[in-house]
Amino acid sequence: MALLPALDIGRSGLLAAEMGLNVAGNNIANVNTPGYSRQRVALGAIEPYADGTGALIGRGVRVRSIEQVVDPLLDRRLRSLISDQRQSASRSDQLERLAGVLSDIDEPSLAGAVGAFFDAADAVARNPNGGAERETLLGAARSVAAELNRRNTGLGQLQRGADDRLVALVREGNDALQRIADLNVSIADAESTGQSANSLRDERETALKDLAQTLGIGVTEYPNGTVRVAAENGVVLVDAGVVTRQLTTQTSGNGIDGLPLHEAGVADANGNLLAVPGLFRRGEIAALLDVRDGDIPEAQANLDTLASSLASAVNAVQQDVSAVDQDGGSTVAVPFFTGTTAAAIAVAITDPRRIAAARSAQPGDNQNALALADLRTTAQSALGDTTFQGYLAAEQARLGQDAAQAEDIARASALLSEQVQAQRDAVSGVNLNEEMTNLLKAQRAFQAAARVISVADNVLGELMGLVR
Amino acid sequence: MIGRVSDANTFEFFQRRSVQVQVDIRRLQEQILSGRRLLASSDDPLAAGQVVRSNASLQALAQWDENSEFGVEVLHAQDQSLGEANDLLVRAEEIASQMASGLYSPAQRAAAREEVHGILQGLTTLGNSELAGRRLFSGLALDAPEPFTDPDASGYTAAAAFTGSTHEFETTIGNGGDRVRLTTNGGTVFGGALQAVEALEQALATNGDVGGTLAGLGTARDGLAAERASVGARQAQLTTRASQVKGLTAQEASVRADARDADFVVVATQLAQAQTALQALLAAAAQMKDNSLVGLLQL
Repeated sequence: MALLPALDIGRSGLLAAEMGLNVAGNNIANVNTPGYSRQRVALGAIEPYADGTGALIGRGVRVRSIEQVVDPLLDRRLRSLISDQRQSASRSDQLERLAGVLSDIDEPSLAGAVGAFFDAADAVARNPNGGAERETLLGAARSVAAELNRRNTGLGQLQRGADDRLVALVREGNDALQRIADLNVSIADAESTGQSANSLRDERETALKDLAQTLGIGVTEYPNGTVRVAAENGVVLVDAGVVTRQLTTQTSGNGIDGLPLHEAGVADANGNLLAVPGLFRRGEIAALLDVRDGDIPEAQANLDTLASSLASAVNAVQQDVSAVDQDGGSTVAVPFFTGTTAAAIAVAITDPRRIAAARSAQPGDNQNALALADLRTTAQSALGDTTFQGYLAAEQARLGQDAAQAEDIARASALLSEQVQAQRDAVSGVNLNEEMTNLLKAQRAFQAAARVISVADNVLGELMGLVR
Repeated sequence: MIGRVSDANTFEFFQRRSVQVQVDIRRLQEQILSGRRLLASSDDPLAAGQVVRSNASLQALAQWDENSEFGVEVLHAQDQSLGEANDLLVRAEEIASQMASGLYSPAQRAAAREEVHGILQGLTTLGNSELAGRRLFSGLALDAPEPFTDPDASGYTAAAAFTGSTHEFETTIGNGGDRVRLTTNGGTVFGGALQAVEALEQALATNGDVGGTLAGLGTARDGLAAERASVGARQAQLTTRASQVKGLTAQEASVRADARDADFVVVATQLAQAQTALQALLAAAAQMKDNSLVGLLQL
């Protein structure tokens, strides 16, 4: 029986234990690294050899591979949920801001300003020739116009914010696409030469998840380790090491603030935008497009309806054929408000004496001021047969309902995403206790292997002594 | 079913939950500080709509209340003037009755005529009454000239004495143009009285038929009484309306409070609950290091 192989066996044990220590150490070091998948050493016995008697004798241990513990199905599911979660969270965030811009539950509010306008009209009706009352009415009218203007500007800023974010997301998406393509090349190179590309795969998975936040994607892995990434409508964005289609934007139409908005799509061979339907069905870009082109314009249209209806109703009273100003002059050609949109509405009257409070030259006549004050409780057909403040109340409830619904969906989506993330972590995450145990196992194995070498060395030493 | 837990997942779980509890605590603190449970319309969309509606209703009710109280003041002032005018007419009737007997000397008739002229002036002054600079019997016009001509002015005739506003002033006290008239044309109110007293004065001046003016004075007094009754009725209507509006205001404020305001008992309890949950979470997180081999092995 030969003793020299015992040294080789001990050596193989030392090397395997060293590798075990390294892998456990690496797992421990990456315990908090986002996207890191734990690794483990796959050991295997070295093929035995037959001695002179025909007996098979083991030759020690070898490291077969460093395996990454992942479940591709969970990763796929998580990517899909990330798209949904990001989309719902972004929509919820945007709608919450929209409801905030148009909030009427705290003062100052548009409903409050409209109410104050009718209060002031009532005060003029109580004292139609009162200079202070007339000035107050003009001031209240200016407050209504200013609040409508402010809300319109707020909607414009919200829309602009969504558009800016869209452009930034397209840039981030392209960065992710390029990173995926580059990592595909590196992974294929490494694995074709038998090296481990585990950390590169983790990096690529992180890039895929980053991309999934932006838009919904489908991922297919090739046998050489590279992946093909396609948008949900089938447009291939990355194929192995090549970004086949970049995301791009181009200006298209103007926003509420009068500045150009951006349309997003993929670039053709010349870098021009190719309008492909269904490209952004999920992900944050989908949410931004929904809110920017749907919810915000709808809210603005409703605001315009209110502004137009208010201006029209007040002007109809002010410009009544029998209405007269404080000097007894006709006000048929003297509108109260100009402009019929929230952006353009303004108070036309500068001289409070031009307010038509009367319908005759009789001193004390307040009939027109009464008609103006009555608008407070008059249903407007343009507003669906509700009063101005009733319309604002309904709009407030609608916006709140939209935001609350989006928040519920976002919460449910986040919960689902958390659950799958927990499942993914259960498979791929690092557990320190487990790694400490692995570390101890490797340490003990190392000590034992060293002991094997030591014993073999002693025995060989004894033999050498006999020879002497 | 999760059969294995990673450290990152465990810590993330604690982090997420403690952040959520802290968000809840912050929100409850805001509710206590602001006194409101409704901080954004998405908190309770229906309640948000209700708050806007209630605010609008309360604004309208406040105006109707103000209008009613203003109307009551105006009508009260009118009632006083009409009461005084009635007293003057009663005195005029007394004089007419006395002088109708024909037993009085010319000097006494002249003295009586002088008193009747004073009554005419008194009625004119009452017709020109003001409340805060506004003519009570001339459409409540502000800073307007006297609506009744001075009886001492040349060419004065009672029939043409009223030159003021014939506008009958109204105020709104409810939905759908629910209005109450506050003034009556001054010429209608005082015209009959002035003409009757003027007739008496002329009869005394011309040694005419004083007794014949009694019927006119009686009719004028009836006219004033009728107007006074109307004023009283409208005053009562406004007082009732003001009382109704106050009741409606209290109800609407209660509806708004239910929709908007925080129940301190509930919020304080929820806050204590959330704080306890946070303490428990932090205590559990602190225990985690003791459940680690890293700690046990003294590495």
